[in-house]
Amino acid sequence: MRVKQILWDFIKKFKWRYIIGIVFLIITSFITSMIPRLLGFITDSLNNKMPLSDIVRYLIILVGAAVGAFIFRFTWRYFLVGNCRYLECYLREKLFAHMQTLPATFYDNNKTGDLVAYAINDIQAIRRTFGFGFTAILDGVVVNTVSIAIMVRTINPVLTAMALLPTPFIVFILYKLRRKIRERFTAVQKAFAQISEKVQENISGIRVIKAFAQEEEEVEDFLKYSQTRVDTHMRLVRVSAAFWPLTQFMFGISIVFFIIYGSQLVTRGTISLGDYIAFNSYVMIIMRPIVSISRVIEIWQRGMASAGRLDKIFQEKGEKGSKSIYVVPDIMMRKTEDRKHSLEASYTYESLKGDIEIRNLDFTYPGSDEKALKGINLKIKEGETLGILGTTGSGKTTIANLLLRLYDVEDGRILIGQKDINHIPLKALRESIGYVPQDNFLFSTTIRNNIEFFRPIYQDEQVNLASKMAGVYDDILSFPDGFETVVGERGVTLSGGQKQRVSIARAIIKEPSILILDDSLSAVDTKTEEKILNNLKKVLEGRTGIIIAHRVSSVRYADQIIFMDNGRIIERGKHDELMEMKGAYYRLYQSQIKKERDYYASGRLKVNPGLRT
Amino acid sequence: MEFSRGIDSNITYRKRRSLIIKLLAYFKPYMPLLMLSILFAVLINVSVIVKPYIIKYIIDDYLAVGINAPDVFLYVGLIYFGVVLIGAGLSYSQTYILTYIGQKIMYDIRNQLFTHIQNMSIKFFDRTSSGRILTRVTNDVEALNDIFSGVLVNSIKDIIMIIGIVITMFSINKNLALISICSIPVIAIITIIYRKAARKNFIKMKALIGRINGFLAENISGMRLVRIFHREKEKFEEFEELDKEYFDTSLRELILHSLCRPIIEVINTLTIALLIWYSAGTVVEGYLEIGVLYAFINYVKEFFAPINEIADVYTSLQSAVVSAERIFDVLDNQEMLEDAEKGMPIDRIEGEIEFKNVWFYYNEDEWVLKDVSFKIRPGQTVAFVGHTGSGKSTIINLMARFYDIQKGQILIDGVDIKEYNLRDLRRQIAVVMQDVFLFSGDINSNIRLRNKSITDDDIKRAAKLVCADKFIESLPSQYSQEVKERGCTFSAGQRQLISFARAVAFKPAVIVLDEATANIDTETEIAIQRAMANIAEGSTTIIIAHRLSTIRNADNIIVIDNGRIKEMGTHEQLMEKGGVYRQLYERQLNYQWIA
Repeated sequence: MRVKQILWDFIKKFKWRYIIGIVFLIITSFITSMIPRLLGFITDSLNNKMPLSDIVRYLIILVGAAVGAFIFRFTWRYFLVGNCRYLECYLREKLFAHMQTLPATFYDNNKTGDLVAYAINDIQAIRRTFGFGFTAILDGVVVNTVSIAIMVRTINPVLTAMALLPTPFIVFILYKLRRKIRERFTAVQKAFAQISEKVQENISGIRVIKAFAQEEEEVEDFLKYSQTRVDTHMRLVRVSAAFWPLTQFMFGISIVFFIIYGSQLVTRGTISLGDYIAFNSYVMIIMRPIVSISRVIEIWQRGMASAGRLDKIFQEKGEKGSKSIYVVPDIMMRKTEDRKHSLEASYTYESLKGDIEIRNLDFTYPGSDEKALKGINLKIKEGETLGILGTTGSGKTTIANLLLRLYDVEDGRILIGQKDINHIPLKALRESIGYVPQDNFLFSTTIRNNIEFFRPIYQDEQVNLASKMAGVYDDILSFPDGFETVVGERGVTLSGGQKQRVSIARAIIKEPSILILDDSLSAVDTKTEEKILNNLKKVLEGRTGIIIAHRVSSVRYADQIIFMDNGRIIERGKHDELMEMKGAYYRLYQSQIKKERDYYASGRLKVNPGLRT
Repeated sequence: MEFSRGIDSNITYRKRRSLIIKLLAYFKPYMPLLMLSILFAVLINVSVIVKPYIIKYIIDDYLAVGINAPDVFLYVGLIYFGVVLIGAGLSYSQTYILTYIGQKIMYDIRNQLFTHIQNMSIKFFDRTSSGRILTRVTNDVEALNDIFSGVLVNSIKDIIMIIGIVITMFSINKNLALISICSIPVIAIITIIYRKAARKNFIKMKALIGRINGFLAENISGMRLVRIFHREKEKFEEFEELDKEYFDTSLRELILHSLCRPIIEVINTLTIALLIWYSAGTVVEGYLEIGVLYAFINYVKEFFAPINEIADVYTSLQSAVVSAERIFDVLDNQEMLEDAEKGMPIDRIEGEIEFKNVWFYYNEDEWVLKDVSFKIRPGQTVAFVGHTGSGKSTIINLMARFYDIQKGQILIDGVDIKEYNLRDLRRQIAVVMQDVFLFSGDINSNIRLRNKSITDDDIKRAAKLVCADKFIESLPSQYSQEVKERGCTFSAGQRQLISFARAVAFKPAVIVLDEATANIDTETEIAIQRAMANIAEGSTTIIIAHRLSTIRNADNIIVIDNGRIKEMGTHEQLMEKGGVYRQLYERQLNYQWIA
């Protein structure tokens, strides 16, 4: 779906609001452009010493017109601009719902910051195009057509031509000026960002700076950035300060013509004094739309560029089997109860059972030339635990990614309970797997929310038990607000190990039939690791487990251990079997045991007795 | 949220006044320019007021009475043109001057602030988060922009403008002037109410955009997880709610905006109608001239802009005061300031270091060092051994006087370190920290820092001495290789070697090495070992040891436990003694043997 299509659908959906808005806008513009004429009449009536009652009648019409314009203007703004405000939110929700369906590859290839910018800045640019860009054109066209028509027909064509003489120059110059301003403004922002970076780096490295007594040199360096900030700003002001004076000057020329030539027209009797005053007001009235032409052009250009960028995302294909959430196109019609109901329905799914089988699997990441997995054959019996060891980049995580169907594989390569993974509904597959990722990503909300993971259907006991199993219960209780403690920037900072353990609790609470731990014990010390592994034994009873690790200690009790290197399985078996082989596994074991001891010898006096074998 | 604090902040009236006075003091060097810009402002006002007056003159003296005088029209037209030209020129210059003053003052404050922060002691950085310091130097300074470039001068301009219009009105026609000024309080009240509401709404909207931004950033980073856990719906609903909240404030902004200005236009029209109605009676009797009415109609319309701007002064003053308070909090903090001027200058120290009954704490009554005494002779290599938190790193911090001690004395070359010039002292002691910090730039600039006296040859020599030359020269751009994102493209070991080279290049009398051993591949580890041996040759060397094997040859080994010195001596002496050190050493050896 393209942005244009979405916009068109949106407009069609709200066509009545648009029609009413446009009609009111035209009426408003019409009234606005009649007011100077009215003032002209009043002037003439005064000049011709008409009776007071006639003047009062005109005055009532004048005030009525002003009040009417006010009401009509408010109405069209509410409908047209209000719709744009809503369009902004609608587009953003639509985009987010779409992003939720996009495959992992999309996120591998796009920076988070860019995506956020699309959802905020680009969508706001589109809103502006449809808000100001659209209404300013409509308003400007109507006001200026009516005004100029009145000026030409009822006042004087030659005078009108004189007044309009400078307009092409104004439009051209202001347009150029705007582009210059934009360029220079970007430079100002850049200079500011550089100051920010400079200070940030300086503070982070302050110990080095102080240790090497580089303070004065740092100040000197800072002055350069500070000066650039001043210089770029002054460069900006040199052009931006010209905008209004220049506009006023250009229209001043119109007024000068008007004084010189128009005055003669009055004294010669060609136009009345009222016309003269009305004309003067018209020059002011047509000025505003003409000045805004350059702004409208700029807004349209930026809106189009933004629409192009958004198009790219909207045209990305969603993951197989995933469907974008339907975004209610009317904010007034939303009912939370309906949503709640549909949410509850989504909690039910059929749990996956059975052995996991991988048959002769080769896999290459999209956009890469190198195979990440080569000829993998693997069978994990239901209820058993598989340990995966290997160096970074050997393909351990890839196996987990494929089991979660974050990337697509050919049919017939991965089977769960004898069903091809490609034919298992995505929902059933992912709901059945408890996954603990490598990067301990927690959302900045309460710990409880992180464990329940935004589905508040668990009892307190369940949350407590899961965190006990993950060995993080005591840690959580030591925080000021326990489970209600907010994590992240605005709250408590958790250590790497604590985050890992919360992630484990998050996976356990789902009671999944398959549990995957992707190097999830790296940041906890050996003692805690042992405790968690003991708990996991209990958790894994009756479940299939996959433990990916760097440390031998994490996997030594697994029913089956595979050792991976460069995308292949090079050794497989139980701990004792692998030790006897005296291969890669054995060597890793030896080096890790040694490191462990060095660490304890120098760093701590207490040694974990379990390791003294 | 820091932003919203601006409004509800309960800064007392007196404090606010003193802050504003402090801020105004920054105008001092720019007084002549400021005066010039105020003069320009007055002239701009005159040009604005004169324009309708010129047309009034034409209308009343010629058009209304039907005198055709083309040469007068041309003459007046040219005068009008001159007024427009001068007005435009003055506006441009005035904006330029004001911006210049504002930028210059911000430049001054920013530099003053940065210099002040540079001279703060480490204690300040321990206690203040880096984000907060960053905000002071960047956003808080920018927030003052409003005050310095514009608001104050422009509000003077606006007040003069209103007074000017009122005076002109009275001089033309007293009764009409009285009718006209009735609209001023009404416009003022509406504007102030609108401003307040709009401001509140604006802050809310800004905060919401911030939340949407944060939500999206977090959810895009965590998208994988949400997908894996199949929580798209829950997350979408959360987003929808946030977006809805934003929509509501957005709509409120629209409504407020669509009400204020149009209402004022209605009031203007009403005033104009009133003026016409009143004068209709007088005109009929032949007293009032049409041109006067024309001028009044124009003047009434000129009221809104200055009132609107003046209403803005209060809010921008308020937010500037909040930022100013934070800035002056830092600038007024003198006690944590290090004095770089004070003390005895030194060129070179010998490297004799003595601690005499030193007691020290970071937080009151939590003694970190208790009665520590030792002496290091020039050229010696001394190792400190002990657990994490035993006080090893603290000793080093004290030597370079990052902190001042509470009791006892630290002597270098027999002189109390408080006597020395701080910077000179630190230049003599190079500390290689465990967590290496690399600056953006290249390898050269990371070794040299900003010390121009270190030549490229010095850098190469230093790199060679610490065995970093091999890896640096294998890089595509060698010493000019760019260091990106704090050096994350280098391994921990390589970063360590660069920081060794940095220490050596500064040719200090004392080198302190905080030995880091985690996450280093064997090759670099060997390089580091050799580097340490090389460094130890020329100067007094202090090593904080994590691996005992590396310090066997040290001239003196000091074992620290819980802030006290437990044992002291050479490796052999301590082994013979059979104390803590021997236990530690044997345990380590034992494991090596098993392995």
